[in-house]
Amino acid sequence: MTEMTRIVKTIANILFPFTMIFGLYIITHGHLTPGGGFQGGAVIASGCALLLVTYGSRWVLTRIKEKRLAAFESMGAIGFITIALLGIVFSMVFFGNFLAGSNLLFGNVPATGSTLADLNTGGVLPLMNFAVGVKVIAGLFVIILIMSYASSIKEWGQ
Amino acid sequence: MDKRMVAAVLAFTIVTVFFFFSIFLIHPFGEPGQVRMDDRIIENTQNESASNNGVTSVVFDYRGFDTLGEATILFSAVAGVIMIFRRVKE
Amino acid sequence: MGVEFLVANTVMLILTVIAAVITVLLRDLLAAAIALAMMSLLLSLEFFILQAPDVAIAQAGVGACLSTAILIIAIKGTKRMEDE
Repeated sequence: MTEMTRIVKTIANILFPFTMIFGLYIITHGHLTPGGGFQGGAVIASGCALLLVTYGSRWVLTRIKEKRLAAFESMGAIGFITIALLGIVFSMVFFGNFLAGSNLLFGNVPATGSTLADLNTGGVLPLMNFAVGVKVIAGLFVIILIMSYASSIKEWGQ
Repeated sequence: MDKRMVAAVLAFTIVTVFFFFSIFLIHPFGEPGQVRMDDRIIENTQNESASNNGVTSVVFDYRGFDTLGEATILFSAVAGVIMIFRRVKE
Repeated sequence: MGVEFLVANTVMLILTVIAAVITVLLRDLLAAAIALAMMSLLLSLEFFILQAPDVAIAQAGVGACLSTAILIIAIKGTKRMEDE
């Protein structure tokens, strides 16, 4: 896609950081508030789609390559499966929550019925949220980026 | 009426009958059906998965295989898109 | 469930169906894509009224933004008007 006008660029420059902050908030607070890795990743990919529509796919491709995005997507998938397999090692169950109740990272256990927001809870859930978030951001963005770049080429299709 | 028309009418009738059966046999909107699994998860989610958000603990802990399948679907979608549009690269 | 819940639910469902019918009837595919985004946004509001904020966020992100972007890119690559 080609570049848009200065008005659209200004509005996109203002809106893009808020979208990123909102998506990262949804991902990091996935075990406390509604949302999670997939929802936050979809929000951040929407912000990246705004950037893509505003500045054009060639400008975006000079900033980040699609091979790097595909590598991020694979890294998210590998991290997700690795955390799931570590459950077999430490708690004998696939997808076992081996960090819950321990004194390590994210180890606190909230009392039953409490609604206090403690970020240091959840066991492996925040790590899985992060892995799925990276995977969804890179995956959805690389789909739109590749399709936009392919449709911006004149010779494609004939 | 040829055989294909008869087969189409027969298939349409069967599908419609099963559709209406499933409509009349569904439980009323807003009322929960079997609640044993829900009660067990709601009571134990803060002890077992240490998370205040029950939905996330169901998605990533109790029903982790579902999320694994979703991740597989997204991965294959990205692989297919990159494979289709690969020869566009200059 | 109160009366206001029922009214909001019914109004949102009727608007969703109207947006879906507009999507089907339009001959301009770009306008149809925008109407589909409108239907998806109304559907996410309906999910939020039915107290499923997870699904509402996912629907608003994927259905209203990303699928619209993909459809518009596809329309840009092909033809805009639907022919007979």
